[in-house]
Amino acid sequence: MFEEIIILGAFTSGTLALLAIGFSLIYGVAEVVNMAHGALFMLGAYLYFFFTAPPPYPLQLDVIPAIIIAVVVTAIIGAIIYRLTIDPIIEDLVATLVVTVGIAIIIQQLMLIQFSATFRGLPNLVEGNQVILGVTVSNSKILAFASSMLIFACLYAFIAKIKIGTAMRAVAQDREVAMLMGVNCERLCMLTMGISASIAAIAGILITTSTTGIAQPLMWQTPLYMSFAIVILGGLGSIKGSLIGAFIVGYTEIIFKYTVPGGSYLTGIVALAVMTSVLLIRPKGLFGKRVEMED
Amino acid sequence: MVTTYLRRFYTSFATHIIDVPTRLLAFLLSLLLIAVPVAKLPINILLILTIANLMAIFAASWDLLVGRTGQISLGHALFFGIGGYTTALLNVKVGWPVWATISAGVLLAFVAAVGVGYLTLRVKGPYLALVSMALPIILSGIILYFKDVTGGERGIGGLSYLFPQVTYSDKSLAEYYFTLILLLASAIILYKVANSHTGIVLVSILDDEVASKACGINVTNYKVMALAISGIFAGLAGSIFAHILRAISLQMLAVDLSFMAVIMTIFGGLGTIYGGIAGAFIIQLLDKYVLIDVIAVRTEWRLLIYIAIIIILIMKWPRGVARFVTDQINDLSEEREIEERGPHIWKKYKKKKK
Repeated sequence: MFEEIIILGAFTSGTLALLAIGFSLIYGVAEVVNMAHGALFMLGAYLYFFFTAPPPYPLQLDVIPAIIIAVVVTAIIGAIIYRLTIDPIIEDLVATLVVTVGIAIIIQQLMLIQFSATFRGLPNLVEGNQVILGVTVSNSKILAFASSMLIFACLYAFIAKIKIGTAMRAVAQDREVAMLMGVNCERLCMLTMGISASIAAIAGILITTSTTGIAQPLMWQTPLYMSFAIVILGGLGSIKGSLIGAFIVGYTEIIFKYTVPGGSYLTGIVALAVMTSVLLIRPKGLFGKRVEMED
Repeated sequence: MVTTYLRRFYTSFATHIIDVPTRLLAFLLSLLLIAVPVAKLPINILLILTIANLMAIFAASWDLLVGRTGQISLGHALFFGIGGYTTALLNVKVGWPVWATISAGVLLAFVAAVGVGYLTLRVKGPYLALVSMALPIILSGIILYFKDVTGGERGIGGLSYLFPQVTYSDKSLAEYYFTLILLLASAIILYKVANSHTGIVLVSILDDEVASKACGINVTNYKVMALAISGIFAGLAGSIFAHILRAISLQMLAVDLSFMAVIMTIFGGLGTIYGGIAGAFIIQLLDKYVLIDVIAVRTEWRLLIYIAIIIILIMKWPRGVARFVTDQINDLSEEREIEERGPHIWKKYKKKKK
């Protein structure tokens, strides 16, 4: 059991990190708490299903092109959502929260209308299992973990090295001064939202295929709670923090699942409880950037 | 003797209500609500209005907390749900009478509010929003875990009627008037609190916490007090809600319900107690009556259309519909109206405009 906790915990945490960085990124740059993140996660999974599903659906693409198209479409939708609904009210935290939750519900209803409430099985990316230290791990879990780490590294390099990444850091530090330096803030935030949405879509495809393999219209809620538990735990806007937060949450969850009787009822709850207790001790998370005080 | 009193009453009524256009409007609207049952409405509309009354109390209590102190809480369903679950458990499992269960529900909601207030004292901004949103989810997880006592997903049914002695045909009417009186009373209390000395102190905390501390204000006490008052009214609405539907479920702790309070208040106008009340009535009628009975929309499309309308209206009038109406009546100039009503949500807005 001890090995199971160690190995499965690592794989779960690694994929959870993927879920959280998108959420953290858009908060860090644009200071938007994007409650539609879970809905974009769901949108990715559903688009993947739509592009690969058998005949009643128009296209039967291979796995790789389906993933690419699904991710690109989700990114464009995310950017459009930012431009049309979030940007005009970005100054107002409460209105942003309400509007993004509204968008999540709208996406949920659209999925319900298009795909009905039945569970849709997603085709596996890879088949088979591997045995690591006597613990059986499915190949799709390993793939999810590996791609998660790869994306994480890419994002880190992107933010640290590329010019746009530097601009993102500048906007995150001080929006007004970045504007004075000639950064087009609105377009940059739109781009960030696109990146965040595409990471959400990848997470949707990888996490869904490696765990339940089922898409249904209410699947956006749990990932949303998980991602905000992780992100808050690590500190909003801190990418390193969300990786560490993901490991804390992932391990706590696995430990609860294996040691507490009936613990599977408590999975999502444990993450939130851990988040709450950490916040009571450190009000800005473990690595949170300083919350801007008014004037 | 009597005439003097009557005259004095009339004078104060005329100066305080008739001469102030917005108050006159509020007075006429409450008269309208009192007169509604005369129209012999079908029973389901009366039920919708009864629920709208409770939702209005719920939204107004959220407004006192967020519009005044700026502690953005997205988990107000916690108090609603605690009220409802306490009431249901005591009523069904222990067999307490209605009045005792409602008082117990309100008391427990109050205790929970004070507890939450002290726990989340240091947490601010978006962190507070997300933590408060997590609390009802945690509670519903606990309720699911102990499903032998709490009924789990199916909830608890078979609560007693709010007025066991009233005959069946008059029940909905009695419940309507009871909730309406409660709504008017709570609206007046909340409005008075929001505009009293305490309310001003709360706004000062919202504007600048450090400065109010420097002025000798005990920020901790005031913050917890705002949460406690707001929790009492939310718990009251929850307890009565449980007795009117005579069943409860996890829906009472759902994130949707917390967001209903937020949506109704923002829609009506944050920081004005009347905004949440107006928003509650408009949204309840739009959701439960207009989109079902007037324009029959399919179920999947109903939620979609309703949310889309709300998003568009919030983006069009970020300061609220009710506030827009009162500003039209009062004919305030743009500058002054922003100056007058401080909360920082509009302070940023002002900064952008200049």
